[in-house]
Amino acid sequence: MSLKTRWKILLAISIYGVLVSLSILFHQQSDDLLVHDVSRLFPDHVNEIVEGNEIESFQNAIHDANENDLAVSIGGARHSQGGHSYYEDSVFLDMTSYNDIVSIEPDEKLITVESGATWADVQEAVNPYGLSVKVMQSSNVFTIGGSLSSNVHGRDPRYGSIIETVHSFRLLQFDGTIVDVTPEEHPSLFQSVIGGFGLFGVILDVTLELQDNEIYLATTESIDLDEYPEYIRKHVMDQGDVGLHFARLSASPDDLLEDMYFTTYHVVDESESDYPTKEELDDLTPLQEEEHVLRDKFAFGLSRKFDWAKTAVWDLQQKLYGENDEDEWITRNNAMRPPIEFLEYDSSRNTDILQEYFVPVDHFPTFVGDLREIVRKEDLNLLNATVRYMPKSTDATMSYAKEDMLAIVIYVNHSMSDKGIEHMEQATQQMVDAALDLGGTYYLTYQLYPTKEQLKEAYPNFDEFLRLKEQFDPNKRFMNNFYEEYES
Amino acid sequence: MMLKWVVRSQSVLLFGTGLVFPFYIVFLSESGASFSEFGLAYGLFTVSAALVHHWVGRYSDLFGRKIFLLVSAWGNAIVYLVFPVVQEMLAVYIIQVVLGILGALQKTSEKALVADFTDGSNRGVLIGRYHFWISLWSGAAVMVSGFLIDLLTLSVIFYLGSFICFLSGVLTLFIQEEKELGS
Ligand SMILES: Cc1cc2nc3c(=O)[nH]c(=O)nc-3n(C[C@H](O)[C@H](O)[C@H](O)COP(=O)(O)OP(=O)(O)OC[C@H]3O[C@@H](n4cnc5c(N)ncnc54)[C@H](O)[C@@H]3O)c2cc1C
Repeated sequence: MSLKTRWKILLAISIYGVLVSLSILFHQQSDDLLVHDVSRLFPDHVNEIVEGNEIESFQNAIHDANENDLAVSIGGARHSQGGHSYYEDSVFLDMTSYNDIVSIEPDEKLITVESGATWADVQEAVNPYGLSVKVMQSSNVFTIGGSLSSNVHGRDPRYGSIIETVHSFRLLQFDGTIVDVTPEEHPSLFQSVIGGFGLFGVILDVTLELQDNEIYLATTESIDLDEYPEYIRKHVMDQGDVGLHFARLSASPDDLLEDMYFTTYHVVDESESDYPTKEELDDLTPLQEEEHVLRDKFAFGLSRKFDWAKTAVWDLQQKLYGENDEDEWITRNNAMRPPIEFLEYDSSRNTDILQEYFVPVDHFPTFVGDLREIVRKEDLNLLNATVRYMPKSTDATMSYAKEDMLAIVIYVNHSMSDKGIEHMEQATQQMVDAALDLGGTYYLTYQLYPTKEQLKEAYPNFDEFLRLKEQFDPNKRFMNNFYEEYES
Repeated sequence: MMLKWVVRSQSVLLFGTGLVFPFYIVFLSESGASFSEFGLAYGLFTVSAALVHHWVGRYSDLFGRKIFLLVSAWGNAIVYLVFPVVQEMLAVYIIQVVLGILGALQKTSEKALVADFTDGSNRGVLIGRYHFWISLWSGAAVMVSGFLIDLLTLSVIFYLGSFICFLSGVLTLFIQEEKELGS
């Protein structure tokens, strides 16, 4: 190679390097005001994004919004999937930097935490005290504010939804004032802010009840779908020693929503002979980080596209979970941080969405049968289906568990084209109908596909909810797409 | 045998552009709110290419073909860097015109160069071989990208394609035009 060529190549590489960096830089800055959630459907341009870890910055933002008559929307980790956390042309409060742990009271088993903190932050803070969260989602990437606003539930069959474990919180209201909300002093605010999708004000800090970081032994077994309600009644419901429970249904086309296995975590009491020794405890207690993200991401990517991969993933899961943990201890905190990162997905053509349906325990097999039929008929690309027990929990105005329920979470991949969205919308309405017919409900935190009639049937208190919204936020300062869709 | 470097550089180029191509269609159909916008964007590409073929042919006789291949490869590399950043429909139209021109630079000079490096007796064999490799790579690229489309993000694919086109430019530097030009 001649010297001249060598210099040319070197020069070209340098120039190209600069251009690549510039492009990446601009790419990252491009369209900062376009806000979307994890499903990436229905993004909106907001007027301004406000973040920070000072209450004043949020107060000022609300003050300015009042002055300029702009709506305010509030976002946490933005895992809700119907535009609940943002709104067109609004002042968008990004709460994720408002995330300090305020205090931990180990004796009272209480933690006070700023609403932008995630469950991962909380787990890190309480783990050294031998404490653990009572109710949270099945994974830990969500913010506390977002979790309260959806009134979330998890895998511990001993508790209902999160509202039952909230001690108190502070709320920044439309007029800039801050109220301390406890169930005793402000019952209607307490019951509607929790499960209220940010429509009543900004949740600032929250005091939550904690419990001990128990030691569990897990059992995984396959079970016949028809026998599952009975198993729940006998071995999960009102059993003090069941710490966590969930089940999976096959998404493989061969045995779609038929093959099933469950995992139950039993509490090992300190007095029992199989309780770990001090050294063993030291090994068990540190929080584990997610491993194999890339591998799992790839496998999941394949199952989005190919049926054989769905079957392979199902078989693999059964092998992985079904055989080995029989006699392995796990702490509650570690059991409450299962892998999730591998689900991150950002194709521009299609998206993964979640939905959750609740049906009274005994109707569960019937509902799954209906679901199977709809998935087949509509040819939905079902990727995953998990099941959990959701005890009756009616404290919140917008409660989904009117009685003891079994809940099924489905993970579906669908095209982001207008046609794909329309198709998913009408398939969703069929599934909602199937749930309603059996006395069930659906989870509001996902897409806005159900009709208003369906919403009102599932949530008979909705009119009361709207009335409370008017009472506590008369100018509709706090807005989001969920409210806009269903208010009138 | 100088044809070797033409084959290499152009195979790599077509691999790069082939990788981006299916995504690029997705990108266009997504930026264009309507079919008419999509049609316009697509048409601009072809028309702008048509308009410059003449000109490229003439000037490549004067200045050599290599410089045009180089401009085409590196030009593509740069344009692909712009894609992830673009938001306006107008920018998409401009990019389409630029890509059309770059495509024309490549097509005409590539053919002329292959002709330069071959002569009467075995020209057919060599051109056949040349097209074999080129088509193989571009076909492979489309298949690879069809697979990657669900595993990677659009921007990553554009960056990957850009890098490959840049590489093609570097390989182009190794082509030495022996033939007397402008005669
Ligand atoms: C992969 C995945 C798994 C999930 N698993 C579960 C599960 O196991 N159980 C379950 O119950 N749910 C589950 N969900 C749903 C999830 O818990 C809810 O969507 C939850 O609201 C997400 O929290 P977030 O921090 O992302 O909130 P965001 O989506 O950012 O916000 C949700 C709502 O809360 C409001 N909000 C956020 N912060 C505040 C604040 N500080 N003050 C006032 N309002 C606020 C927003 O305006 C919005 O209306 C899951 C979702 C995904 C995507």
